Amino acid sequence: MADGIQLARAATEAALATEGVYSMGRGRYVEAATYEGSEKVSGVVVGPEDLEIHIVARYPLPKSIPEIAENIRERVAPEAGGRRTRVVVEDLEVAEDERL
Amino acid sequence: MSVFNRIVMTLLFAGLFVLGLYTIVYSFDLLGRSLNSLPISDFAAGLKDFVRRVEHGKLSILTIITLVLMAILGLIWFIAELRPTAPTRVRMGNGTYVTRGVVGEEISRVAEQVPDVLGSSVGVKARRSPGAQVELEARVRRGEDLGSIRSGLRSSVQRHLSERGLPVSKLNVKLVEADPRQTKTRVQ
Repeated sequence: MADGIQLARAATEAALATEGVYSMGRGRYVEAATYEGSEKVSGVVVGPEDLEIHIVARYPLPKSIPEIAENIRERVAPEAGGRRTRVVVEDLEVAEDERL
Repeated sequence: MSVFNRIVMTLLFAGLFVLGLYTIVYSFDLLGRSLNSLPISDFAAGLKDFVRRVEHGKLSILTIITLVLMAILGLIWFIAELRPTAPTRVRMGNGTYVTRGVVGEEISRVAEQVPDVLGSSVGVKARRSPGAQVELEARVRRGEDLGSIRSGLRSSVQRHLSERGLPVSKLNVKLVEADPRQTKTRVQ
């Protein structure tokens, strides 16, 4: 089980490896990040009992948003240590060929 | 509302803090200042008179109306404070959230793919329960069959959103007849 910044890093890797995720989000009104010392991991907020993962989804979506969120949760679960995982889709990034 | 409340409360507490400092200084005769030196004898007399009239129920109609209005205002403010703030993100259930912008973008995109729609604007409100409340305004040419466009547009949006897994608890579709020269798209 990872803790703090390690978990944030693992969650970022897991999220970015999931199909349909373009990048990590940064939070809309408050920055979504985990800090430790001088290090910061954007897009993941690690709490004592929960874990919040902010993503930007790729458009067109390869699957529905709940499916993408579930895939992220499955990938993160081994590291999350029983924390409740919330996935927040902050934005959609349109693929280059869709902009034509 | 909450930003307004914060500003008001900050100013109020700042004022109370300053007033508290003055009260301490004047009450304990510090720094050569005392309550007797304050020019408040007229104010104190007026206040005593007002309290006496309240006790005897001899207030003017204008004063009663003012006090009642102040009480109502206070009650409304109190209720507004008790209400929890509206969520900023749309809950999809099972720990997944999307921002209102994502829902609006999706709806706008699918609405503008409908041939009769020349342009659209979308308002999305997040609710505490899963699903968003959506106000979709679509601009169409004058003289079109609005009923069939509305039902077609509604079903297209709902179908698209359910495919994407985006829950919409309430979808209001408003059609506005517009001049194609003034819309985003002239020809579909």
